[in-house]
Amino acid sequence: MKLKKIEVFSKDELEAIHSASMTLLSEVGIKVDAQDTRDILKEKGAMVDDSSHFVKFPESLVKEQLKTVPDSFKLHGPDGSFSFEVNTNSTQFATIGTPVKIYDPTNKKGVRKTVLTDTIEQIKIVDSLENIMCSHVDVWPNDVSYITIHSQCIYQWVKNTKKPYGLGCLGRLASQDMMNMASIIVGGEEELVEKPRFVGFMNPTSPLHLPQIMTNGFAIFTKYKQPTIIAPEALAGASAPVTLAGLLTQTNAEIVGSAVVSQIFNLGAPVFFGTVSHVTDMRSGNSAMGSVEMGLITAGIAQLARFYNIPSRGPGAGTDSKLLDLQNGYERFQTLMLAAQAGVNYITCAGTYEATLVEALELLVIDDDLVGMVKRAMEGIKVNDDTIAIDVIKKVATSDKKGVNFLAEPHTRKHMKSELYMPRLADRSRRSTWQKKGAKNIIERAREKVDKILEAHNPTELEKNVEDELLKYMKKVEARTFDDYRKAEGLMVDSVTLTDGIEIKEEK
Amino acid sequence: MQVVEKVSIKDKIKELVIEWETERLKEYCQLILKNNEATAPNLLKIIGDIMKFVGDQFEQEEIFLPELIGSAETVKVVIDEVLDPAIRATGEEKETMGKVVIGTVESDVHSIGKDLVGSFLFSNGFEVYNLGVEVTADQFISKAEEVGADIIGLSSLLTMSMDFQKQVIEELKKRGLRDKYKVIVGGSPTSEDWAKKIGADGWADDAIEAVELLKRLM
Repeated sequence: MKLKKIEVFSKDELEAIHSASMTLLSEVGIKVDAQDTRDILKEKGAMVDDSSHFVKFPESLVKEQLKTVPDSFKLHGPDGSFSFEVNTNSTQFATIGTPVKIYDPTNKKGVRKTVLTDTIEQIKIVDSLENIMCSHVDVWPNDVSYITIHSQCIYQWVKNTKKPYGLGCLGRLASQDMMNMASIIVGGEEELVEKPRFVGFMNPTSPLHLPQIMTNGFAIFTKYKQPTIIAPEALAGASAPVTLAGLLTQTNAEIVGSAVVSQIFNLGAPVFFGTVSHVTDMRSGNSAMGSVEMGLITAGIAQLARFYNIPSRGPGAGTDSKLLDLQNGYERFQTLMLAAQAGVNYITCAGTYEATLVEALELLVIDDDLVGMVKRAMEGIKVNDDTIAIDVIKKVATSDKKGVNFLAEPHTRKHMKSELYMPRLADRSRRSTWQKKGAKNIIERAREKVDKILEAHNPTELEKNVEDELLKYMKKVEARTFDDYRKAEGLMVDSVTLTDGIEIKEEK
Repeated sequence: MQVVEKVSIKDKIKELVIEWETERLKEYCQLILKNNEATAPNLLKIIGDIMKFVGDQFEQEEIFLPELIGSAETVKVVIDEVLDPAIRATGEEKETMGKVVIGTVESDVHSIGKDLVGSFLFSNGFEVYNLGVEVTADQFISKAEEVGADIIGLSSLLTMSMDFQKQVIEELKKRGLRDKYKVIVGGSPTSEDWAKKIGADGWADDAIEAVELLKRLM
């Protein structure tokens, strides 16, 4: 049988968390900055306080709206040739994080700032991997003007992969650009709505706050039915109670409240029940992504997601290490395995380290192998007459051949690939063979694989009219100023906080 | 016309080798010989090329160990039972990379590693006489003398049985035959140093290395 899912709550405990979250939603509510969002919530029966911006969600409203949240959806690549399904039983793996630096052993610090070339290379690597299904705007192109990053990345996405893509739904103007560009690529809005290409990221700010820029973008993503991840990044002890049950009650209210908003924006819009929450290190105040508690929180969210019958998203392969060292290895595998065992339906953060702030393409290809191991583990042990293989044992053991083994048995050939996972990068050779091949460590072997992939990867040729239209659209985006964005979002302030703590400031 | 036919014979044999269709491959080779579509040395050459292809695929990790060994076993049966007799019937000698007598030494019953070496050597064009396990010095030497071997391969998986590798070499010396054969040793507890210490001609860490070693020694 397959491995059983880890459960961190008993049925009563699950009910207790749910019930406490409902109390929070109906008695405290969520602070919703956007006036238009508050208005439509009021229309649907939410209690709105326009001075404090808090919106209270009666339990009946929550129950009603959650009914239409889909329990499965498909994501498609730009040309539609590649797709995969996310449902309440799937285990899919993807990237995501906020890497602003990349591993560089030639640099004194071991890392350097990421540039657009790195963003492109990461897209290409993911395109070539077996187990990593989707890349996102995570490797940050520091050399690209902030206001054009989304359009530049979408252009590189369509040129360099057959897999879907993810973007933060940061504002209505940028989100609308994403939909417009995707519509050019796929041949129209209808096709985009029917076969979604993008994963959106909508991060409530803990505690209990939906910033204007996020709901602005969320409205666009839900309008086009692009599956959007609702993922609070609460830190136990800092932006949520230190007790994990308290953090889960609070973030559950944030996710459920946001899911209600999604359905009010557009009935049947697909969302992920997500989390990136972890803990605060009490010695330094830093966040600790590689912590074992992050695994527990993720498992809690996965169980809550099953309770509401919504596909879940959680981080795996997370580590706080600054090096490609043992800590990096054990934390990334521990969080990955726990997320899979917890039954998370969309597990992210492949290729990152230092709490996802740094990317290593080497880790990305290693994670592909780790995911293969995890998937194999989750399959468990299959037991039937064929796998018990009593006839084969009898045949081999009683063979009159000199020396007995199962290697050349048809049974071995038939089952070897499904029974035994063969990692590509782990070294299992004899010492002398390993030495002869240069005595390389796994990072060196991973680098070779990265180089090989990049060398063989050719960009897709776009049809001329599509290419022209995209370039024309990108020119339009380029011509905008920061104030154009502020106006579009109704934000005439000096600066605004981005999803994961990066501050956007106008470039000087 | 002839060329087209040769290609199709090769494709057919390749398919049967890869699918481990021993009986069908035997029948097919017999039919080819009977109809004079190709000679036994021709077929041996074709099979040699196919096994080289299979070996390359194994090294590129496109296929795995069972697939390689299974194909080698199929081919071995066909060569032993169909092609060798056909060649002998014409009074000719078979072309070979070299003749190897291989076995696990006295007091040791571990066979898998040694069988892998045998399969790999066979796949690379060597003629392999696999004597099995718990083989005595006398059995190794008698077989080598009988078949006119070039190389004797001694396997041992136990620290306790390693010493018997040395005894085979001593026995060869005693009979004045040491220079007639190259002696190679292998197995988990053995090493390059051990091989030198007991006066062997070579040591390899795994089956792939063993092939390279023998090619060097020949």
